[in-house]
Amino acid sequence: MQDTRREARRPSPPPPDEAVAAFEEAYLRYAPRLQRIAIRRFGIEPGDAEVLVQDVFTTYFQHAADVQMLEPYLIGAICNASRNFLRRSSASKALFCGEQPCAATPDDALLNELARKTLLAKMLARVGEPCRDLLRRFYVNGDGTEVLARAFNITRPAVKVKLFKCRQRALEAYRSMTEKTNE
Amino acid sequence: MSEHIAYAELSLFAHDKLAVGRERREEIESHVADCAECGATLDFHAAAEEDLGDLAVWRPIVGSTAAAMSAYANQCAAEDAEADWLLQEFFEKPRKAAVLNVRNLRKFHTGGVVRRLSAKAHEVVASEPLDALIFADLAQAVAELLPDDTYPNNAVYELRGTAAKERANALLRLAEFDEALEALERAERAYEHLWSSGYGLGAVELVRGAVYYERGELREAAKHADLAEQLYAHLGLQRQRMKAVFLRGEIAYESLDYAKSAAIMQQVMQFGEEIGDGSWVARGSYCRALCELELGNLGEAGELFQNALVILREIGPTEDRISTEWGLARVVLVGGNLSDAVRRLRDVTAAFEEIGRVMNAALAGVDLAEALLFLERWDEIVKVASHAFRVLKKAGHLTGALTALAYLKEAAAKRQLTPETLRVVRAYLRRVEREPDLLFAPPPGGER
Repeated sequence: MQDTRREARRPSPPPPDEAVAAFEEAYLRYAPRLQRIAIRRFGIEPGDAEVLVQDVFTTYFQHAADVQMLEPYLIGAICNASRNFLRRSSASKALFCGEQPCAATPDDALLNELARKTLLAKMLARVGEPCRDLLRRFYVNGDGTEVLARAFNITRPAVKVKLFKCRQRALEAYRSMTEKTNE
Repeated sequence: MSEHIAYAELSLFAHDKLAVGRERREEIESHVADCAECGATLDFHAAAEEDLGDLAVWRPIVGSTAAAMSAYANQCAAEDAEADWLLQEFFEKPRKAAVLNVRNLRKFHTGGVVRRLSAKAHEVVASEPLDALIFADLAQAVAELLPDDTYPNNAVYELRGTAAKERANALLRLAEFDEALEALERAERAYEHLWSSGYGLGAVELVRGAVYYERGELREAAKHADLAEQLYAHLGLQRQRMKAVFLRGEIAYESLDYAKSAAIMQQVMQFGEEIGDGSWVARGSYCRALCELELGNLGEAGELFQNALVILREIGPTEDRISTEWGLARVVLVGGNLSDAVRRLRDVTAAFEEIGRVMNAALAGVDLAEALLFLERWDEIVKVASHAFRVLKKAGHLTGALTALAYLKEAAAKRQLTPETLRVVRAYLRRVEREPDLLFAPPPGGER
């Protein structure tokens, strides 16, 4: 028969600068989603999930020119990576993800949550370092007003005022971002 | 409805309901229950309160992973640009690459050199398999010299796997099947170092399937083609998946299951139409036409060959176009229009010779001999066989193939040639390219 099956011609790769920009954009856009899939659907610890996401992106970059549809590729890749991870760590229990589409394909609720959190992450990037530090201590570390008062050498009511102002600042960032989106 | 609640107040309310007086609290609760806009804002702030406790939200800011990924991509791009410059002269003169000792040349020890060499091997493998092997060998040598931590996340193993896979692909074209399988094992071992190795493993399974197909081990070939198809489908890589589907169709054809092969090739055609890619439509049409020809559906076969020909005349490649004209000539031959078949087959034989595809020319010559046999033009059969013999000999072709053609010529000269003899010679010529050590065995009682 006609000898054509093996590896048809690849499309020409984009110029290097464009390839790098597209890769960075893809990473920023999809990395949180992939990480969420690994954590939520496969029960992988956040630190390990981050490694898997990076693995997906580093290997993807080596053959990016051959990938026609990025999103299904990345979701399939994180499913495989998660499955491999669980298999190798002997923790896999009937989590095989061979079906199509992958069972870990995110549903609307998860996608909405991811969109919201991505927006929130962007918002936090705009509130300034002092506010980020305060909000992070409060929300992530779980430091109460007493601990924060000692850390910043201020009174507890002053911590509450600071928190209020930082949230206000975040709110303004959010409004400006949503207005921009709506324009 | 009362006035909308201010953003700031909603934010505060979401954070701490008790920070608002009881009366106002009830007012806010009552308002947001009726006002979709304020309700949505409150929902957002409430969700944000919860989300802010999620480390993932902070990660792009506190982590340096995005920066690390960006640095990695930039490193690769810079290496690629440098490799383009370094490898230019070797791509122009591949034999120079064959004698290059990269071990002592540190400037070649980059991932970019491996990527560019592998890509070049892939690009030329169909037309220049020996050059492809030179480039893939070099790519593999450099890939092995790179430290394991050249890139984050073991990505150097993706390069090693790809180089080995390209070697296997070139070896397959050169009919070095055992070595090709060894190279594929090597690629697989490299991919084991990665968490997300689906793309590479899909390619390994596809080439492995093709190796078994070429060796005539069709059951094994089908197993690997299926695996490749699954791996690609899981990643949403439809074009790559279709290569595995196509291989399955070829396997069905070689297994003489023409109906199954035709159905698969129909899928290939439809895929080509869906994505607007004429080359897939042409490939599917051509192969389905071969099946229909075997099934005796001459009208359908002719129509499908014509469809393929229209596309291939426009986009090539030349060899596929000539193969399709050959198919049409066979339809005419089987249909009994012998004079027309002779004319067409002569053109096809000459066209194959012109592009150096001498084995295909010899095979078309066997079809020509068949048409001439029906017309009992014995002398012309002798001339056709002698010509094919000379062409193959000049091209440095295999002794077995020459023996088969000499046998054909002899049988025609003695007017003892039969359709069965032609079938055996044809089958042998088709196999001997894949199995150079195969000896020609004349059919029992082949000469009348």
